[in-house]
Amino acid sequence: MARTTKKNSCMYAFIALLFLGGVGYLIFSGLSENSTYFLDVAEAKVQEQSKLGNIRLFGTVQSGTIVPPSEGLGVSFNLEDQHDKTQTMHVRYTGIVPDTFKDGAEVIVEGGVQPDGTFSAKVLMTKCPSKYQKENRTS
Amino acid sequence: MYTLAFALLLLAQIASIAAAGLALIQTWNHRTTGVVLVEKAHLVVSTAFGLASGILLYGLVQRDYSLEYVASYTDNALETFYRLAAFWAGQPGSLLFWALAVAISGSLFALTRSYAELPARTKLWYWIFFFAITGFFATLLALWSNPFMQIHPAPQDGRGLNPLLQNPGMIFHPPLLFLGYGGFTVPACVALAQGVCGREGRPWYQTTRVFFITAWCFLTAGILLGAWWAYMELGWGGYWGWDPVENASLIPWLIGTATLHTLIIEQGRGKLTRINILLISLTTISGFFATFLVRSGIIDSVHAFGQGPVGVPLLIFMAFALLATLLIVLFSERGQGSLENPFSREGALCLTAWIFLILGFIILCATMWPVISRLWSSAPMGLDADFYNRVCLPLATLLLVVMALCPWLSWKLGFKDKNGLVLALAGGLVLAGCAWYLSYEKLHPLVSQFAAGAILLGSLVLAARRLAHKTSFRLGTLGCHLGVALCAVGIAFSGPYKLTRDLVLEEGESAQIDAYEVRLKSAGTGRGVDYEYLRATLEIRDSSGTLVSTVSPEKRAYDKFAGMYFSEVDVASSFGKEVYASVSGLDSRGKIVVQVSIEPLVSWIWVGGIFMSLIPLLNLRSRGRTDQKSV
Repeated sequence: MARTTKKNSCMYAFIALLFLGGVGYLIFSGLSENSTYFLDVAEAKVQEQSKLGNIRLFGTVQSGTIVPPSEGLGVSFNLEDQHDKTQTMHVRYTGIVPDTFKDGAEVIVEGGVQPDGTFSAKVLMTKCPSKYQKENRTS
Repeated sequence: MYTLAFALLLLAQIASIAAAGLALIQTWNHRTTGVVLVEKAHLVVSTAFGLASGILLYGLVQRDYSLEYVASYTDNALETFYRLAAFWAGQPGSLLFWALAVAISGSLFALTRSYAELPARTKLWYWIFFFAITGFFATLLALWSNPFMQIHPAPQDGRGLNPLLQNPGMIFHPPLLFLGYGGFTVPACVALAQGVCGREGRPWYQTTRVFFITAWCFLTAGILLGAWWAYMELGWGGYWGWDPVENASLIPWLIGTATLHTLIIEQGRGKLTRINILLISLTTISGFFATFLVRSGIIDSVHAFGQGPVGVPLLIFMAFALLATLLIVLFSERGQGSLENPFSREGALCLTAWIFLILGFIILCATMWPVISRLWSSAPMGLDADFYNRVCLPLATLLLVVMALCPWLSWKLGFKDKNGLVLALAGGLVLAGCAWYLSYEKLHPLVSQFAAGAILLGSLVLAARRLAHKTSFRLGTLGCHLGVALCAVGIAFSGPYKLTRDLVLEEGESAQIDAYEVRLKSAGTGRGVDYEYLRATLEIRDSSGTLVSTVSPEKRAYDKFAGMYFSEVDVASSFGKEVYASVSGLDSRGKIVVQVSIEPLVSWIWVGGIFMSLIPLLNLRSRGRTDQKSV
């Protein structure tokens, strides 16, 4: 009885190792390929280029800089830092522009910084004024 | 009147703390004379929360905008049932509803014979844990999240309910989630009490089985309804996006489901006693964690929730609850004996529980990744949906495979029922073969479909035998697994084989997607009750040119929500390929932009979901005592 118990424990330990090894591999590969830095514009401007290949950038749309493309879907605009308005980055985006996108909107863009310093966005999201509670409660 | 409601919250707080304190003193002095008095306190707490909820509902229905909550979430144009549903539109209201669910489930449990049969000391400990929770809720409501704040002078009209919430989903999805979170409280408190006092009489999972199963069903239904709502109405383009808000509700479900499976081992074999106390308690605590995640503002989600001041109190409460649980589990009685060979039904159930728990842990860490990565990184890092799909889907597939094999394993070692196994695997081969034949050839979904097919046929075979009294599997369990298999088929097709295209169309122009031709019949603006809309009417034709369906998605701008647009999607429902359309807007030259996707077998998820949420209720009735040993 004691021997089978011990044998069973060993087998459970072995299976657990196998299982955790597989999960560990999945997580490791996921982390190396699917993780993105979350940055503000000002932070992105001081990061080294190698870290800017795949990032998520937070900021607001600088007024008067929205330009629709000559053809197709998309938009280009300047994204300014939420705290330091002097820090901006030019963003080019191809795809459907969300309805809530406008001057001064808080937006999130995902993509990479090109060598020329412009941001090429694959995803453009506007931060929706919260689902359950409205912002600016006093206004 | 609202001062009275606030006083009721204070009353619930005082009654909870006093009762818990009295029970604690009694156990300290090894006395049980106070049980009768302590028991009475739950009536006070339930009544207080009940009346307070009643007053809030009254305010909502009466359009009393002097109440800040009413003014924030309703307006004059809102229909009555949405006014009632606004009860849980905001944080204070939803916390009150949750507290009410907990209090009422406690009161219901106190009425049962199972409760009456508990030894007096266990009762006292049960109430200590229970009142600690209701006391915490009352404190939270009274100090940090008071639904009865008033405004002077009262405005003429409220700010209105967010149009996204004006949907039947709103009436059912949030309360089901909270009933789920709340329903786990009673089983957890009895489990902890038995952990402290030792097990005299029937074990907690039998005395509270009705609460546990019902809570699980509520939570399952709540999550699936949320997915359906997101898919059908919110126009977020899918039923599951791995958003922090969605993940938060999934974590308690995963831990709770793991618990259901390890409990089978305990019920049949008396093993894993301490693990189960730990797991049921974690299930309850993770419900609080879910709230912490969405309410504390710790995670930056696209669907930013209002940042409330409840984050810190929730964190402290969870820390205490976790510490208490660990101590109790550490010092409670061990179960009998060790586990059988892994290649047995016991082993399969263990593996199932491991997978559920590791999924919960991964989702927890991944959701918190922006916070965790701060430890070594200068800027927070986040994980996108691809990460979850890459890591979680293989685990879910493994889970399906284990599920397909488990019923045919013996409790000790090896397969018991080889005929059944062969039949089930044949079912799997047929389904996977069909998918292959229809050129759905990706390996990973194929494995899932194989396993799902084996579960489908296997469950049917077992159900037939159950009806002939030839197996001890219960119909509730089999029906639930059948539902899981249907969901799995739906996900394995609709996930990897979804096709989405953005189409820019003029009236009369058409475009091709998959085997369908989409033609813009007409587009135009108009006015609804309290909104302006832009509507596109699209004709969908199949390859032979016959009209399959006409869909008219809209983009709406509500009067009360200036500057915001809301998508009203339209779906040509089908059990095969579903056509899903939403209007994105106009492009720079005035052409209409629509997003059209082809979603194969999505409906199967909803059918499976109905199975999963309703059929387990068949298991509510406890078995006769003679039947109990065979599980």
